[in-house]
Amino acid sequence: MAPSKPSSKGKGGSAKGKSAPLSSATKVSKNKKNVKRPPPKEVKGKARTAPEQLKKKKKRVYTEEELDLPKLNTITPVGVVKPKGKKKGKTFVDDQEGMMTILAMVNAEQEGQIESKMMRARQLEEIREAKRKEAEARQAQKKSKLEDAKASIRQKRKRRSDGHDSAEPEPTSTGSKSKGKRKSVSFA
Amino acid sequence: MRPLTETETQTLFSKLAQYTGRSLNNLILPSGGDDNDRNVFRLHGSRVYFMRLSLANLATSIPRDNLLSLGTCIGKFTKTGKFRVAITALDVIAPHARYKVWILPKGEMSFMYGGNVVKAHVGRWSEDCPEHQGVIMYDMNDTPLGFGVSTRASNQLKQLSPTDIVVARQADIGEFLRSEDTLFTT
Repeated sequence: MAPSKPSSKGKGGSAKGKSAPLSSATKVSKNKKNVKRPPPKEVKGKARTAPEQLKKKKKRVYTEEELDLPKLNTITPVGVVKPKGKKKGKTFVDDQEGMMTILAMVNAEQEGQIESKMMRARQLEEIREAKRKEAEARQAQKKSKLEDAKASIRQKRKRRSDGHDSAEPEPTSTGSKSKGKRKSVSFA
Repeated sequence: MRPLTETETQTLFSKLAQYTGRSLNNLILPSGGDDNDRNVFRLHGSRVYFMRLSLANLATSIPRDNLLSLGTCIGKFTKTGKFRVAITALDVIAPHARYKVWILPKGEMSFMYGGNVVKAHVGRWSEDCPEHQGVIMYDMNDTPLGFGVSTRASNQLKQLSPTDIVVARQADIGEFLRSEDTLFTT
């Protein structure tokens, strides 16, 4: 344990002794370096700022007019442009004149609609009337045709009734004939 | 409570103009020479109220949350921007009605309980009324009972059967009792 202590001390002393001049040397050197360093720093600073300055020079803001873009290709399309300096938000209609103009417009529109509705209703009514008349005419024609048929049948009957005696034997003879014919037609 | 914007005014007037004729102008015109005497429309929440201008100016002294209603409620704007006329507007629009339907006493109750008007219950009908047009319903003593929309033009009425609906109901004075709880809630 004893030799180790002095050795440690000596080592420590030697270390201290070495370290002292080193430190002094470093201090000096540091000072020297500090003196030398600023110029590169300045150079670096210049180097950094230089491209920025260049970039700033390059960044020139073009207005939309200068770009000669087609109007539909601009940032704010043609239809969306809002006039500058106009009041934001809602515009109230509280004065009497404004309300009267709106009311007049609405009334005119409404009357136009009613007029067109009435016109259409009248036209539809005319069409309906025409259709009804046509249907009636058709019905009447049909009825007259039926009446004619009825009348003709009645006339036939009357004729038969007039020649009653001669008519009676005929049906029997025709009936027998027809039966014979039927048989031949249906099974041949 | 604020005045209406242009689009809101247009929507409101076009709705009212369905029931009224040109005399709707008289609603806005001042009754006397004083400008404070003229009537205005005001929006509160989604509801539109009709009142004298002097009364509307007084409303500025009441906080918005504390104000329930003021003047005559005309109706309300729906969330889609359409306007729905309320039964409370009947007194405002009835004097300016363009097309009228008079209901027979036997049909009054069915109408006031929310039913549509059938042909058998119609006592009289304004001439030249087109279909799908706003009409105001009256009893035979000219008391306004409500309003609705005509389903047929007046010249087609003769061809209808007695049970056919001629006016689709939109509002009737029975609502004052039927929807008493919800009539003035926001």
